[in-house]
Amino acid sequence: MFKKLLIAYDGSEGAQKALAAGISLARIHQAELWAVTVQERLPRYGGTIDEIDEEKKFLDERFEKIAAEVRDQAQAAGLEIKLLRPFGHPAQTIVEVAKEGNYDLILVGHSGVSGVWAAFLGTTAEKVSRHAPCSVLIVR
Amino acid sequence: MEQMWFTAASWIGLALVASLISIRTGVSVALVEIFLGVIGGNFLGFQPNEWINVLAAFGSMMLTFLAGAEIDPDSLRKHLKPSLVIGGVSFLFPFLGAMAFSYWVTDWDLRASQISGIALSTTSVAVVYAVMVETRLNETDLGKLILAACFVTDLGTVLALGILFARYDRWMIVFVVVTGLALWLLPRFSRYMFTKYGGRVSEPEVKFIFLVLCFLGALAVTASSEAVLPAYLFGLVVAGVFVRDKVLLHRMRTITFTLLTPFFFIKAGALISIPALITGFNLILILLGVKMAAKIIGVWPLTRYYGMTLREGNYVTLLMATGLTFGSISALFGLTNNIINQAQYSVLVTTVIASAVVPTFIATTWFTPKRPFVEEPVVYGTMEHFLHHPEEA
Repeated sequence: MFKKLLIAYDGSEGAQKALAAGISLARIHQAELWAVTVQERLPRYGGTIDEIDEEKKFLDERFEKIAAEVRDQAQAAGLEIKLLRPFGHPAQTIVEVAKEGNYDLILVGHSGVSGVWAAFLGTTAEKVSRHAPCSVLIVR
Repeated sequence: MEQMWFTAASWIGLALVASLISIRTGVSVALVEIFLGVIGGNFLGFQPNEWINVLAAFGSMMLTFLAGAEIDPDSLRKHLKPSLVIGGVSFLFPFLGAMAFSYWVTDWDLRASQISGIALSTTSVAVVYAVMVETRLNETDLGKLILAACFVTDLGTVLALGILFARYDRWMIVFVVVTGLALWLLPRFSRYMFTKYGGRVSEPEVKFIFLVLCFLGALAVTASSEAVLPAYLFGLVVAGVFVRDKVLLHRMRTITFTLLTPFFFIKAGALISIPALITGFNLILILLGVKMAAKIIGVWPLTRYYGMTLREGNYVTLLMATGLTFGSISALFGLTNNIINQAQYSVLVTTVIASAVVPTFIATTWFTPKRPFVEEPVVYGTMEHFLHHPEEA
């Protein structure tokens, strides 16, 4: 039923559960497995290239950590997983990636790294579920 | 003495708050520092004193040095002709446009109008770079051409600042000869210094860079030129050395961002007068319009000439209409040397800040070139998987 899965992964506890669920589903459905880690935007209106470079380096290091987590889980399950790393607003970008890649299912953790802001503005999971072009599995 | 430490604590405290706001909001720390400087200067009594002026001046010199040192020499060589044309026009049109407008329409005197032209001629390489990294355009030929053109624009700005207000006497000859000689020798000598003495705890290579910057800066100021001119040129000629020595570059950045640039940007903000902003609000909008119009008239046709699509051309033109650091440096130079008054400075710096925000917003909202989401070059799988699909290994 699901041939192409997209896991929204930000390293949070919810995302880890979504990754585990995604791996299980990929095995059951023999599906292609993708993960997307949306990166925070680089500083707007930067004063110097150095400022941008330093922030980029910080984000790269964080991404490497997240990528290693994804790799370890996939390796343990004996699955191949492909990783996307766009910059932008998390929910909006996940939806754009899903539209462009023709995915059948997006898996997203119930709560991510947004913390207290999500209580006021809504979680990424809520926003993705409202705007996604395909089915969305919110993993608790 | 105690007063000095209170002053230092309050300025560094403001810089710390700026860092935290910047991290939380994603707005660059430079812009937040200017904004907090405006609040500090107008409501909290933040006014620069002698030692703050020294740190701020050193900060502006380091900013220009690092800006020059960030250039990719290979990319500039590869795109030399189009980058010279686009970058040159991107400097010249707004420089002439803003200068003419300030002189004939707003009745500023010639020297103040020249500062206006210079401050509004800039392109913020940092703004352009950030947007390009996010869209991965910086990895393409088009992106590299645009970045090279931005450096050329900044070079035009720095040259204009260094040349237009200089006094042409024997000191100018000394400055030109010594700077020329130094720029010729410095790449080789810097490479030698970095290789032989680099990485030691006493940081001789950093001190060497500071020495060169201060000495050439002193010569420039003696010739009534501006210290940022030799700093930028020095950065340009040693850029190739820095490409190989990222650790040194990182150390220089740490020193600069921690101790120097906060004082420059907070000072730049503290000298902005809010009453002058209210009075000059219309002028700010018009000058922003003049800058953007001049960039569009100059750069947009060239983007089409060099084969960019309509969307790419619009995008590039708007990004080249941004400005921040060099514009602020130019306006502060004008105020420090009594070429412009505080009201004119307030109008110019605010226009510069607006030019960082407005064109970027328009470009990224409506004209970002459509690019597919690129897969990271990593495929994770088990050994068993690769044994069965060896072509993916």
